[in-house]
Amino acid sequence: MTKECIIKVENMTKSFGTDVVLKDINTEIYKGDIIAIIGPSGCGKSTFIRTLNLLEQPTAGAIYVHDVDITHKKADINKIRQKVGMVFQHFNLFPNLTILDNITLAPVKTGQMSQEEAEKKAMELLERVGLIDKARAYPDTLSGGQKQRIAIVRALAMNPEILLFDEPTSALDPEMVGEVLSLMKDLAKDGMTMVVVTHEMGFAREVANRVMFFDEQIIKEEGTPEEVFDNPKSERLQNFLSCIK
Amino acid sequence: MKKKLGLIITLLVLTLVGCGSNVGASDVHSVDDLEGKKIGVQIGTVGDTYASDYEGDEAGTVVERYSKGNDAISSLKNGKVDCVIIDEQPAKEFIKRNSDLSILDEEFTLEEYAIVIAKGNDSLEEDVNKALAELIADGTLDMIIDHYITDGEVEGLAYTSPEGLDYANGELVMATNAAFPPYEYYANNSIVGIDAEMARAIADKLNKKLVIEDMEFDSIITAVQGGKADLGVAGMTITEDRLKNINFSDPYTTSKQVIIVRNGESGAVASIKDSIYQCFIEDNRYQYLVQGLWNTILISLIAVLIGVVIGFFVAVVRATHDKTGNLKLLNALCHVYLTIIRGTPAMIQLLIIYYVIFASTNISKVAVAALAFGINSGAYVAEILRGGIMSLDQGQFEGARSLGLTHGQTMRYIILPQTFKNTLPALANEFIVLIKETAISGYIGLQDLTMAGNIIRSNTYQAFLPLITVAVVYLIIVMFLSAGVQKLEKNLKKNERHVYD
Repeated sequence: MTKECIIKVENMTKSFGTDVVLKDINTEIYKGDIIAIIGPSGCGKSTFIRTLNLLEQPTAGAIYVHDVDITHKKADINKIRQKVGMVFQHFNLFPNLTILDNITLAPVKTGQMSQEEAEKKAMELLERVGLIDKARAYPDTLSGGQKQRIAIVRALAMNPEILLFDEPTSALDPEMVGEVLSLMKDLAKDGMTMVVVTHEMGFAREVANRVMFFDEQIIKEEGTPEEVFDNPKSERLQNFLSCIK
Repeated sequence: MKKKLGLIITLLVLTLVGCGSNVGASDVHSVDDLEGKKIGVQIGTVGDTYASDYEGDEAGTVVERYSKGNDAISSLKNGKVDCVIIDEQPAKEFIKRNSDLSILDEEFTLEEYAIVIAKGNDSLEEDVNKALAELIADGTLDMIIDHYITDGEVEGLAYTSPEGLDYANGELVMATNAAFPPYEYYANNSIVGIDAEMARAIADKLNKKLVIEDMEFDSIITAVQGGKADLGVAGMTITEDRLKNINFSDPYTTSKQVIIVRNGESGAVASIKDSIYQCFIEDNRYQYLVQGLWNTILISLIAVLIGVVIGFFVAVVRATHDKTGNLKLLNALCHVYLTIIRGTPAMIQLLIIYYVIFASTNISKVAVAALAFGINSGAYVAEILRGGIMSLDQGQFEGARSLGLTHGQTMRYIILPQTFKNTLPALANEFIVLIKETAISGYIGLQDLTMAGNIIRSNTYQAFLPLITVAVVYLIIVMFLSAGVQKLEKNLKKNERHVYD
């Protein structure tokens, strides 16, 4: 059975000035994949996920979303980003808009849906995450966990093919991590393709089908959760895991 | 706000009551006494030239140059200068209205007044000279001069335009400085006097409608040179220096310079009631203020709109360049704009726009001023907004762009609304500065609030009441604006209430 490839990264290098962060990365992300990306801080894992929707422009190499090279000048990046959703560490909700407007703005303005369709969809999603009573509230009246769930809903409203999570629980108070992770598990069960940069090893082990360990500018090790967590091959990964435990 | 206003007004009334001191007689009895004294003159006049000969001598003579004859007289009354050298007829008018002033029995050489016409405008010069000759021949000019040079009060106009004139040849624009009675001055909200009526008679002969532009005396020649006005008629003496830059018509009257001094008599100290009557009621002078206030508000409003539009545009261009590296050329242009506008005084910009850029265009002064102040304000608004945009969390851009919104949509729906809210106090500050800055509109002869106060000041020789009134009106405008902005800020802040810590 051949799986549909959504994103293909080819010989991608990213450097900031003379500082090389990622070196010659090659990988493919298939439909239904749930990839956990782990690694020590500064290893380039956030930079990697940000290149996948071109928030960071790679220095060399190519990134294909389906068969379109998004690093090419002619690529319609706005169109592609509509299909590649992203959830940030700091939520990045828009404080000037209500929760409902935060969710409906992009589907309506990009021409995907009419206002009514977008609102209907938004209300369904809010219902699902249990925040329907917050539809008319402004982001600053929400707790961190609520904000992150709204941010996930906002990304989902665009009907993305893949969701990128950049340390989605790192800025949360400990008691709020659970609500966000359980929403992400639900999405995983529904078959959403996800790439998650995370420090939640429990989540990675339980939910992911692939784990990538980034270190020394490359994907140092990759495999199933069992391979990576139970039988780490490199010394770096062994050290990293022992530090976390 | 009502309490504040009440307090201010009470303070003013108290100050008013405490005012009105007297200054002794001048220590100037003849031309020989001028050395070492403070001499007041109107800038650019023949009196200025005479006085300048004394300036910087060993005795330490100082020449104070005023833009209006009336201001020189006011300074003399207040003891700020020891004497004023000015043309004979205005001098007579001034002492008629001020019993504490006298003219010395000293006479300078006779000089000739003539009309200023741009060099090369030979056909107009020919027409004006022909018309002038006719007016002299049929006695009209003498009649006008007799009407204004009289021992009694001047009432009404001397010359009436013949009926049935069609003004087929358009307008004849006359530049003058209407603070020079009896040649030109304000009465009943229009400019009258010998020059004004003579110019109207000439314009009638040419089948043109006379339009009088009031401006600073030293701007008149520039205005005629630049084509802003066809004629300069302002009791202007023919001098060698002026002939280098401008042509004169045939002379229409003669005059001479005289010296005005304080004679030691106490000037009639007006009661508050009389002051108020003189400043606002007599001659319907309050109308200057009403018209001036209207112009100030109009200029400010249009300028704010222009400033905001320019400011938003420039800020978005600059921020887009800073964030994405695009729009290199536009960014460079905006940079030049900001450098020039922020690097030069607003007054110079106003003068350049009026006298250079729109030199030969007949465009309303309010429009010119609004444009000039708008362009000026735009630069400051742009930098305020750019600062606001750049200080927003980068995550706001990324959040919006990651959803597939374009850069433009991100700016419009996410960035600019937040920027506007965050920069509102700074923007309000800029608008307050802008409103007060319009006070320099008088430099292009525009009758704004400040100019209105100046007209009343020069007609009544009272400094206190007109100046304080104008100050209070500006204060009220600014207080209203501040209150409005505060309310807007409160409304915008509503959605910032934090429920969680």
